[in-house]
Amino acid sequence: MKALVIDDSRTMRRIVARALEDLGFEPPLQAEHGRDALDQLEAGAEVDLACIDWNMPVMDGLTFVSQVRANPAWRHITLMMVTTEAEHGQIVRALAAGAHEYLIKPFTTDAIRDKLDLLGLVPAEEHV
Amino acid sequence: MTATVERDQVQAIAQEVFAAMIDGDLGLLLPWDGDLPTIDDALVAWVDLHGDWSGRAVLVTANDTALDLARVLLDLDPRDDVSRDDLVDALGEIANVVGGNLKSLLPTPGTLGLPHVGDELPPLDGAVRAHHLPLSWRGRLLVVDVWVTTPLNPKEIP
Amino acid sequence: MTLAPDGFAFVADLVRRRSAIQLAPGKEYLVESRLLPLAREAGLDVDGFVDRLRTRPTPADQDAVVEAMTTNETSWFRDGAPYAVLRETELPRLVAARGGAGRLRVWSAACSTGQEPYSVAMTLLDHLPAPMSSEIVATDLSEQVLERARSGRYSQLEVNRGLPAPLLVRHMVRAGTEWELSAAVRQMVSFRAHNLLDAPPVGPFDVVLLRNVLIYFDLATKRAMLDRVLRVLRPDGVLLLGAAETTLGVHDGWERVTVGRTSVYRPLAARTAVPVPIPAAAAVASPFVPAPRPAGFAVPAVPSPAAAPAAPLSRGAVR
Repeated sequence: MKALVIDDSRTMRRIVARALEDLGFEPPLQAEHGRDALDQLEAGAEVDLACIDWNMPVMDGLTFVSQVRANPAWRHITLMMVTTEAEHGQIVRALAAGAHEYLIKPFTTDAIRDKLDLLGLVPAEEHV
Repeated sequence: MTATVERDQVQAIAQEVFAAMIDGDLGLLLPWDGDLPTIDDALVAWVDLHGDWSGRAVLVTANDTALDLARVLLDLDPRDDVSRDDLVDALGEIANVVGGNLKSLLPTPGTLGLPHVGDELPPLDGAVRAHHLPLSWRGRLLVVDVWVTTPLNPKEIP
Repeated sequence: MTLAPDGFAFVADLVRRRSAIQLAPGKEYLVESRLLPLAREAGLDVDGFVDRLRTRPTPADQDAVVEAMTTNETSWFRDGAPYAVLRETELPRLVAARGGAGRLRVWSAACSTGQEPYSVAMTLLDHLPAPMSSEIVATDLSEQVLERARSGRYSQLEVNRGLPAPLLVRHMVRAGTEWELSAAVRQMVSFRAHNLLDAPPVGPFDVVLLRNVLIYFDLATKRAMLDRVLRVLRPDGVLLLGAAETTLGVHDGWERVTVGRTSVYRPLAARTAVPVPIPAAAAVASPFVPAPRPAGFAVPAVPSPAAAPAAPLSRGAVR
């Protein structure tokens, strides 16, 4: 499976990418902001999942989400916010804009796995 | 005037950030026990907040500790080199996540500035240090400070 | 306060034997920080506490150490699929069977910090049609854990674990650094202390969740527990087990119903009584090997297996 990690922090991109690789994704594509990410999609990048930070220069995560959901060609892409924005109202806004899931920073790899399981993107860990 | 944030909330946030992003478990970031050594080779990371109260969340630690934090975050070996850029990005991101969580405690949604990292903390006009948390990360000193600038009733400054 | 290497090795060995969890070198800080509260309570430093554990071991100390080292966050909607089956198959079936009226009763039998019963509560709140009502009885052995569960408050880390964002915003509000379930959800669940080795809470229940508990016990005890569940489950009710668990080969009073990639269990239609050996009334006589102790039940200090008197159980007589 293919992912795109969008965050203006290189550290955070690496953390999310690593977690996704641990969960069976191919090494994810990375983008520094929403515009960079859209450019990659427009250039034909194949993506099943996008993990999106909220606050980024040039184009923020919410705008990116709206743009993706407005494009029928990208309807299949699962959109998950990964952000420090943790107010109730912010989560509502993100879901209303079309995000499928929302992960609050800080998060663990287990948390990502649980979210992806909810989305049907990775089998749940066998708990014994 | 609404209270800003409580000390135990700052501690809880710092502990959750470290548990999730760095240590993989709760319990490795603890209150500092004993005398506070001076940090000779300090690195400071900070992020500004604006909302019902305005201020700054600050992390202070020794350069070596910061390098080790960066190595953990970037999944490097204990003796790998860490570029200045990577160090700044990693420490800044810790400050960003701590600051972001503090911001979400504000009664009405606020804004968060970009994280900064340097050798010294620039002054913040009219700010008082509302919370000072010396912490121990695997035995090494890490300080989390919260400065507040919005004029407060003097009684509310701890 | 630094833990000596052989002290660490001793704790690691204890934890591995009791829980299969490996504490590799490098986790010394973890052990120290987890044991510090226990040591302080005993008026010792961590090294001293571990020494005491080695020279004068008590089951209580051993249990406490294993528990301190093995506590993890639990997930909401753990494993996902069982809750989907509940929502899409079992709930509609039960609602139809009840004529769309009355009260649906649920038992969450090892509820720990509450994520399981509250997950069910959210599901019922969103999908149980009026005028049906529901009641969820949630039990666990540890009163400490029940206190937390009753509060309905969870940290951000806990809330990140498997709780769909739409449900988070629908059923929870921010409370300081934590999130709190709405009163509507909280009042659907009553939490009580209960030992799974004892008689079950008063039934009948339509749904029982006994998830990730049976695996810690030997066959006879598993059977006994499933018997007790059967006694309080409606004939057309449903049992949910953990992802890696099954009644097959354990207790033949159940019918396995596979839906997608998960299975649920329903009481097998009444048939000729099958003798099932169960322990005598006091569970103390129950022959089982103490194993890792997760939430939900006690491990009496009975190290040597004792023969249990066999008593035929007539299923037909249960209802």
